[in-house]
Amino acid sequence: MRNKRIGVVGAIAAAALAFGVVAGVPARAADKEIVIWADETRGPNLDKLMSQKSDWVSGYTFKIVTWSSFTALKTAFDAATEKSGPDIVMAPNDWVATGAKAGKLAALTPSSKVKSQFTAGQLFDLSYKGKLYGLPVDVNNTGMIFNTKLVASAPKSFGDMVDLYISKKASLKAGLCVAGGGNSWGGLAVGTAMGAYPYKIAATGAVDSADPVNATTLAANVTKYLLGADGKSNGFFPASDAGCKENFLAGKVPYAIIGNWEWKDYLDKGFKMNLMPVPGVTSGTYAPGFGSVSGALLTTYAATHGVETGAKSALFNIFGSAVGARSYQAIEGRPAASKDGAKYSKTAAQKGFAAVAGASSIPQIGIILDGDKTSYWEAIGAFWTAVLVDGKSPTTEATKLAAIYKANLAKGLKDL
Amino acid sequence: MLVSIFRGKFAFALKIIALLLVNSILVMLAQQALASGEYAISIFLAVATLSINFVYLTKRSVPLKFFLPGLLFLLAFVVGPVLYTLAMSGFTYQTGNTLSKPESIIQLQKNAIQQDSNQTIFDVTIGKNGSNELGVIYFDSLTNEYAISTEKDRTVEPASTIVKNEYDIPSSSPNFEALTEVELAALDAQIPKLKFYYNDELYLGLEGFEAASIYEQTLKFDAASGDFKSLINSDIYRDNGRGNFANINNPEDILQPGWRTPIWFENYTKLFTDQRLRTPFIQVFLWTISFAGLSVLTTFALGLLLAIALNKAIRGRRFYRSILILPYAMPSVMSILIWGGMFDTDFGAINNLFGTHIAWFQNAAFARTAVIVVNLWLGFPYFYLVASGALQAIPAELSEAAAIDGASPRQIFNKITLPLLLKILSPLLIASFAFNFNNFNLIYLLTGGGPIAQLDGEIAGSTDILISYTYKIAFNQGNSNLGLASAISVLIFLLVASISLYGLKKSKVLDDFV
Repeated sequence: MRNKRIGVVGAIAAAALAFGVVAGVPARAADKEIVIWADETRGPNLDKLMSQKSDWVSGYTFKIVTWSSFTALKTAFDAATEKSGPDIVMAPNDWVATGAKAGKLAALTPSSKVKSQFTAGQLFDLSYKGKLYGLPVDVNNTGMIFNTKLVASAPKSFGDMVDLYISKKASLKAGLCVAGGGNSWGGLAVGTAMGAYPYKIAATGAVDSADPVNATTLAANVTKYLLGADGKSNGFFPASDAGCKENFLAGKVPYAIIGNWEWKDYLDKGFKMNLMPVPGVTSGTYAPGFGSVSGALLTTYAATHGVETGAKSALFNIFGSAVGARSYQAIEGRPAASKDGAKYSKTAAQKGFAAVAGASSIPQIGIILDGDKTSYWEAIGAFWTAVLVDGKSPTTEATKLAAIYKANLAKGLKDL
Repeated sequence: MLVSIFRGKFAFALKIIALLLVNSILVMLAQQALASGEYAISIFLAVATLSINFVYLTKRSVPLKFFLPGLLFLLAFVVGPVLYTLAMSGFTYQTGNTLSKPESIIQLQKNAIQQDSNQTIFDVTIGKNGSNELGVIYFDSLTNEYAISTEKDRTVEPASTIVKNEYDIPSSSPNFEALTEVELAALDAQIPKLKFYYNDELYLGLEGFEAASIYEQTLKFDAASGDFKSLINSDIYRDNGRGNFANINNPEDILQPGWRTPIWFENYTKLFTDQRLRTPFIQVFLWTISFAGLSVLTTFALGLLLAIALNKAIRGRRFYRSILILPYAMPSVMSILIWGGMFDTDFGAINNLFGTHIAWFQNAAFARTAVIVVNLWLGFPYFYLVASGALQAIPAELSEAAAIDGASPRQIFNKITLPLLLKILSPLLIASFAFNFNNFNLIYLLTGGGPIAQLDGEIAGSTDILISYTYKIAFNQGNSNLGLASAISVLIFLLVASISLYGLKKSKVLDDFV
């Protein structure tokens, strides 16, 4: 009986071991496979690109892993290990600083031919402490469109928009709202129109170290354009972006800021892509929004996986070449970052968004925006809530906001 | 037939098949963990496999046959994470300090290069020279000559001997033969480490398979002293004991990335000595105690009230019992999100119903009220169920005897029913307190911890509880601090354990088990 029991145990152990050895698969299926992680829009676009042409780098195959959202992609990338991490990640530019500091991103040096495809600002977007960590892929920005049934002609100043809203207030839910990108990212231009700059860019292209916000001017503009005589919100700009897209499409809001990834939704509803930057308070000027790039970033995992050189070549061949730009632009809806790619941006929307970014935008510098105690993302939302919802004094709140922006700029400049 | 399922040859066969499956899975996982370098996990899985086989194939310990699965899961998913969290709480583990020291040194060495002043890049072809040494052939635009650079030297090639490809890039010469694409792919792991000689100070580093840039090393690591030395200005960067190499002349000039380093109890002391952390920590702690206490009180009170009301035979009692369970049956995530919409300032059902325009989630008092109300909705069915069962367990004779002695219904409830109920339900009340102390889902989904007066520099929101506050510290977009978050998690564990033990001791429930 004892021998029989031992025999059974031995048989189980052997079977289990055999199964385990056979079934155990290594973490990466192919030695020369370049793994690219992307969000829910770029991932499928890259899949289409690879199905059309997969030999971007001879001797290498590509595997595209698509995540359900940028948040999911970020969570996964933050948790990635040497074994599980991607070789290239398609990411917004404000991941570069934290990724480089965390040792997850690897620097690369493109040839002058590849560099010439991009503007200095675009390359700066993907740089940290002077090193470039990827290639720009597409421009991330928003633009303002207006409902031609409510608005006869393009507004020349912020005041024109407010005046139109006041004249038609009874039939409208708001004057200008943010349909794409949220009030803090998509709605930056409303803040800068009032004078709430998180930072300014000097003519040289460098970040201006002077204080970006004049609290008095900001408070005065907010009082004049966004508040009524009773000191409460006049309803022109809601503190929340909830329902904006629906209200605009229903003809209840004349002006909306939309994202360059969703313009087809508006075309389908019969709206024209009369894209323009948000007008400034001075006639003929524009308020800058974020005009940054998303990029294909090289990770340090590529070296661990033994595909770093191939991954670099992949970046140059796909996103830094005319062939790659043409192929990718035929699929992608966003405006291309590269000059060759821009030639193949055929739709009015892509050209319109690119024009908005070119006319009036500032790069999204994560190292300044994330701040230390209070980030830009938290502060501007709190400001709009305090002034437009809670009815607090614009002067007091503008002073607090200015102090936060000043501290964030000082900290960010030290780290740039 | 049924007996044969649990005894006899059929049962034995089922046991063997089950063991086979479990062993296969555990061995496979152990092998993968070993291949990934996760030795602790691999050892644990191997020990688990052996222990499962020992327990279920021998008659050494029959009770262990019942306890072993739970024990293994407890070790894997409770004890293990607690120990790991405890360990991490003693480290600087934050953005910029997540690697190990050797990894950090490798990264720093790799990043410690800069291009020449002209930012020169050459189009190159990778291959081997006449001596079979790996090298690159290129046109040097700075010196207007064709050259081959290997790791040891650089030789000039006559222009007339150079063969170019279709892009007019030099690809071969009598002293140089290009590698094939297959050969290049095989060398990928080696290529990033190659430095081809340019001159005594500069070298060529490959950027992909077709370009090379002129670089100079800016930092050098001295393994003997463990310091980095700048080759530009001779500055020394030394381990500052906090996970970074810092300039000995300017401690704020640190090299990134850094590494995780033990700082022992500093994360704990920081919570009480750093005012930026102490003030919100105390505020959040007080609210967490209040929230957990109020949640238990309100859900228990409403649950008990309904249980007492439906303890009597009334018309439609079955129907009422069914609908009262519905909030408990629905996924809590859905309920919380729906309630979040109902509390919306402009479109919410609550404001529409009462004709108000309350900004529920922008005011601290209203936000806290909303949180308590939603938790009441989610929690009362549970206490209704347990109270119903507990009421059945109380002998009716006690109430009847008291009534005969002239006690009023209120006296009967206060002096007999409630004390007995509390004795029966106290472990559940303590468990509910512990659950609500860490009720992350509700806070995160409903209010996000807000409102937060960001403009006043607040870090924690009015409805943040310790666990949601810890989450923000751990996963802050700009600067996540997992070490500090681990320290707070350990404190939460100690707090909840202490409160639970105190409550159990007070209620003397554990006396029944001793």
